[in-house]
Amino acid sequence: MKAVCAMTQAPNNQNSSNFSAVPRSSAAPASRRPQAPPDPQGGTSNGASAGTERPIVQAEVFSLYYGSKAGVKDITMDIYPRAVTAIIGPSGCGKSTFLRSINRMNDLIPHTHAEGLLRVDGVNVYDRHVNLVNLRQQVGMVFQKPNPFAKSIYDNIAYGPRLQGIRRRSRLDEIVEECLRAAALWAEVKDNLKGSALALSGGQQQRLCIARTLATRPNILLMDEPCSALDPLATAKIEDLIGELKAAYTIVIVTHNMQQAARVSDRTAFFCLGELVEYGSTAQVFTNPRCKDTEDYITGRFG
Amino acid sequence: MSLRLRLRGLWNKGFTGLSVLAVVLLGAALLIVLAPMLYRGFQAVVFVETVEFRKMAFWELGRGDEQTLQAEIAAVQAAREPVYALLDRFSRGIDVERQIGQARELYRRYGEKLRAEQTPREEYTDKRARAKELRDALTDAYEAQDAVTAKEHLQAVLSRADEPWVRDTMLREYVEMARDYGEVIATIDLGRRQEYAQALDEVKAALRKLLGPRPREEVPALAEDRYGATRWDLAQRDLKRLLYDEQWLQEQPGQPLVRKWVPRTAPSQFGGTALEPLFGVVETHLEEMLRPRWRFYWQYFIDGSTPGHFFGGVGPEVLGTLLLTLCAMLFAVPLGIVSAGYLVECGGDHRMVRIIRTCINTLAGVPSIVFGLFGLAFFVLIVGRPCVLAASLTLGLLVLPVIIRASEEAIRAVPETYKEASLALGAGRFRTFVRVILPAALPGILTGIILSVSRAAGETAPILFTGAVFYGDVPRSLFGQTPALSYGSYGIATGDRIGMEMPHQQYGMVMTLILLVLLLNLAAIAIRHRVQKRLRG
Repeated sequence: MKAVCAMTQAPNNQNSSNFSAVPRSSAAPASRRPQAPPDPQGGTSNGASAGTERPIVQAEVFSLYYGSKAGVKDITMDIYPRAVTAIIGPSGCGKSTFLRSINRMNDLIPHTHAEGLLRVDGVNVYDRHVNLVNLRQQVGMVFQKPNPFAKSIYDNIAYGPRLQGIRRRSRLDEIVEECLRAAALWAEVKDNLKGSALALSGGQQQRLCIARTLATRPNILLMDEPCSALDPLATAKIEDLIGELKAAYTIVIVTHNMQQAARVSDRTAFFCLGELVEYGSTAQVFTNPRCKDTEDYITGRFG
Repeated sequence: MSLRLRLRGLWNKGFTGLSVLAVVLLGAALLIVLAPMLYRGFQAVVFVETVEFRKMAFWELGRGDEQTLQAEIAAVQAAREPVYALLDRFSRGIDVERQIGQARELYRRYGEKLRAEQTPREEYTDKRARAKELRDALTDAYEAQDAVTAKEHLQAVLSRADEPWVRDTMLREYVEMARDYGEVIATIDLGRRQEYAQALDEVKAALRKLLGPRPREEVPALAEDRYGATRWDLAQRDLKRLLYDEQWLQEQPGQPLVRKWVPRTAPSQFGGTALEPLFGVVETHLEEMLRPRWRFYWQYFIDGSTPGHFFGGVGPEVLGTLLLTLCAMLFAVPLGIVSAGYLVECGGDHRMVRIIRTCINTLAGVPSIVFGLFGLAFFVLIVGRPCVLAASLTLGLLVLPVIIRASEEAIRAVPETYKEASLALGAGRFRTFVRVILPAALPGILTGIILSVSRAAGETAPILFTGAVFYGDVPRSLFGQTPALSYGSYGIATGDRIGMEMPHQQYGMVMTLILLVLLLNLAAIAIRHRVQKRLRG
């Protein structure tokens, strides 16, 4: 397992120049207020064409330790904007650890430290000067279990904008509607915005969480097994939603469900024992894996 | 296999039955404990009042219609008149000191009158001498120790009755006095006069307790003496004290004393005397004298009371208790929540935090009187005198551990995912705590508050030295002292005689306290329910 496959980097040669690219913007990533999501049709949204863009998240020999134990080790990978990147792998392989490193949610766990570089928009997120609040507003996260606050649907979504200092009622109304529409939930809840979020079904709650994440105007959406607690119908809805959202957002999704990875993602990374084993376009990883481990895992012979 | 299943079914049923039984037993225990208190307490609110109560309500509390009351008093007075007449006649025979005093007074007034009419000197001397003669004869009769001598002296007075200088002047009063005295001594044994005098005093006191002071009598200084039996049950009790003499007798040497109720009409008491009919009259006509009537005295909860809680209600106590509880909560709740937040969110698991937590748990077990003494030694010293502020700070300190522990548990019970979600949205820790964790933990925190409100409202020891008074009004500022239900109940229970004389006052106060705590709890539970409903949707 120590042997890391050759293709751990971007599958396209053209991207090698981006690897050490200077930040696109000199400003801190968080200070950027992303514009409204671009037109869904206009985005580049498949694995083949993603290579033409600069990576938005870059990991260079990145390791994260829980105490002395490595959660992920020496990860080097690029994640491209406006595409869905799936991370698969057996339990305990560091998928979630890597995902949660991107917006530094691992800081909640005591005694963790990181080595190597992990850049978001060219800025090392583990730099001491990084403003966590801004980073997390730019890199939104959806969790495994739906976790809406014990507030009304409206307040759940308005929570993020209010943190950013948006107080005007009309502006908040706008954002709430926009995000609920983006999360394909508007039609179901528009008459009950003041109702408790906890009264929604699991699938609705998860979509609400996605909407809530969208409300802070992130560039990147991290999804940590967003469908593992949902039934197939709700899962299908979320997957459709991911398909729609990738036009505007960079999505990184951790999943245990390989069909799901195959269905929704443009690229797939296979993690094993804290290391990145293989990373390439989804079609390539699933149909023609370069590593034996990947093939074994995908075909169900191991894992 | 099926046997096993059936056995398991039996087990299940058994346990279910046991738990149902436990619930029923607990309910019954609560009922058994509370029912007598509430029943006796309600007698302070619903009872049969007498005209004395209506008088009290008018004079002390300004309640009621004056004209109806005056009419009623007049009617009642008419019913009572025969009793007082009997009493007066009899006391003329017994209370010789007073009769002698009256005789002297009459003599002095006669002299004054003569001087005022500028009677010539010789005539004046003559009339005075004759009047003095009458007076001395009467005085001798009063002072006589046996009936025969007394009658001789009385005869000397009565023989002058028809002489014009007696009949047509104020001196005829001497004749009336002599006649009355003659009638009285015909029925009593003059040798037992001392005994009668003592018993008569008792009868007078009992009658005053039953019917209140007589009209035109000087108004007593103490409010408790101004009215007779205000309630029919008290009237029955006072009637018994009037009709019977309570004696403690030792039947045999070495035996404990036993109480005997000796009727006042017994020969050893007033049997055969002119006073004997009085007892029968009072017993049969008590209703006309007191006019009992059912009353729902709901104002009990808002009325102030006369000094010593003899009459009136517990209004100031209720307000004082609410004030103390409110202030204590204002102090303890924010501090408790902040402390709990610190312990859970910021404290981590250091040695220091563990020590703090142990201290809080220990504090929760400290007896309340210790808090009371601490409040005396600390808050009272700082503020300068016992007052509401010191008392409520002490109470707040007492309930602080309870609030901290309940809040800590509630905050800990908020799912970690809430915190994660909030942090992932870019919120800081403080905002996450205030906006997400605290609202989600509110029902649990409210539970802690409910428990501590009950405790704070019911505690006596912490306010004993720090700001409670037995009698007074609700203070105008935080630096005044206040009456409180718990301390009032304690005061009545340990006080000299209100608890015995007016048992309903004591139970009424305790019932009010129970109801108040119950009401506070219900309110808090309703609030918690609403919060929960809002959270759960």
